[in-house]
Amino acid sequence: MDAHIKKVYVPMTETGFYILLCLQTPGHGYGIVQEVKKMTAGELVLAPGTMYGSLSKMEKDGLIRFLLEEEKRKLYVITPLGKEVLEIEKKRIERLYRNLKEMG
Amino acid sequence: MKGTKTVFKLFTIVQYRQEEAYLSAMHGRGWKLSHVTFPGFYHFDRCEPEEVSYRLDYNPDGTHDKAGYVQMFSDCGWDYLLDFTGYSYFRKKCAPGEGREEIFSDDSSRLDMMRRVMRHRGRTLLILFAGVILPQFFTQTVGFGGGSEVQDVLSLIYLILTMAYLALFGVMAWQFYQYEKRLPTECPGAKELRIIFIRRKKKIINCMKRTIPQTPPTNFIVFPT
Repeated sequence: MDAHIKKVYVPMTETGFYILLCLQTPGHGYGIVQEVKKMTAGELVLAPGTMYGSLSKMEKDGLIRFLLEEEKRKLYVITPLGKEVLEIEKKRIERLYRNLKEMG
Repeated sequence: MKGTKTVFKLFTIVQYRQEEAYLSAMHGRGWKLSHVTFPGFYHFDRCEPEEVSYRLDYNPDGTHDKAGYVQMFSDCGWDYLLDFTGYSYFRKKCAPGEGREEIFSDDSSRLDMMRRVMRHRGRTLLILFAGVILPQFFTQTVGFGGGSEVQDVLSLIYLILTMAYLALFGVMAWQFYQYEKRLPTECPGAKELRIIFIRRKKKIINCMKRTIPQTPPTNFIVFPT
């Protein structure tokens, strides 16, 4: 994997994590905001500046790709590289959780 | 009372937070932002005093893909107002009892925005500096003392301008550094990691407490027998 990708996305921000998680099926920015709000019982509300910036950044880095535009909303989906990065993050979180359960 | 008002305000590229606060305050006094004209004329329309969040975003990608960019903000309840000096202006009515809302929900993206400002505005400043001021500075200073008084005055003006641009860039760089320094580790699990380390520390301290007798520290010196 690209060293730059590793540096930026390992580990990744909570926002990045949720974007990749949700974009395993095609979706647009606001759809992700609503999904995450529901997933976290209203605790995590992603803001538009963050959302737009993160989506553009991830698209440039090749973690997600643009599919089509629907009613002025851009539809994105995860790429194989994105899936790879998400898998690394998944292992990291599982390890954290294991250790937390052990010592906590 | 008049229906409109114009105020002249100069906010530097690093003062967008102050600008946001100023616009919110104005709206709270019954003046909503209508438009801005160069170099710093803020035009307001009379309105009902309201608690409104004003936020500025700096996103050249957004200004290129205007429709999608504005739609994202609109979906989240933000009204798009205008673009000025590269910044996009948004506003949103505050929820009852809530404070002013942000357009960034994590520090990482906030920092990305500042980086974009630094890169683009800094680059513009640098080009201005290199392309316009520097050559002028050199040609003018060559004539310093030897040339006419007009040339001396011009040299002084260019010197001041050079210093001003350097100072502005320096302030921006310093602010950016300060912000980056106090950025908490933005990664899920950082909090959990801290908990694990604190617990480990506590365990170690407890172990030590059991082996070392809890006597008051009267005599630290132990003489070998």
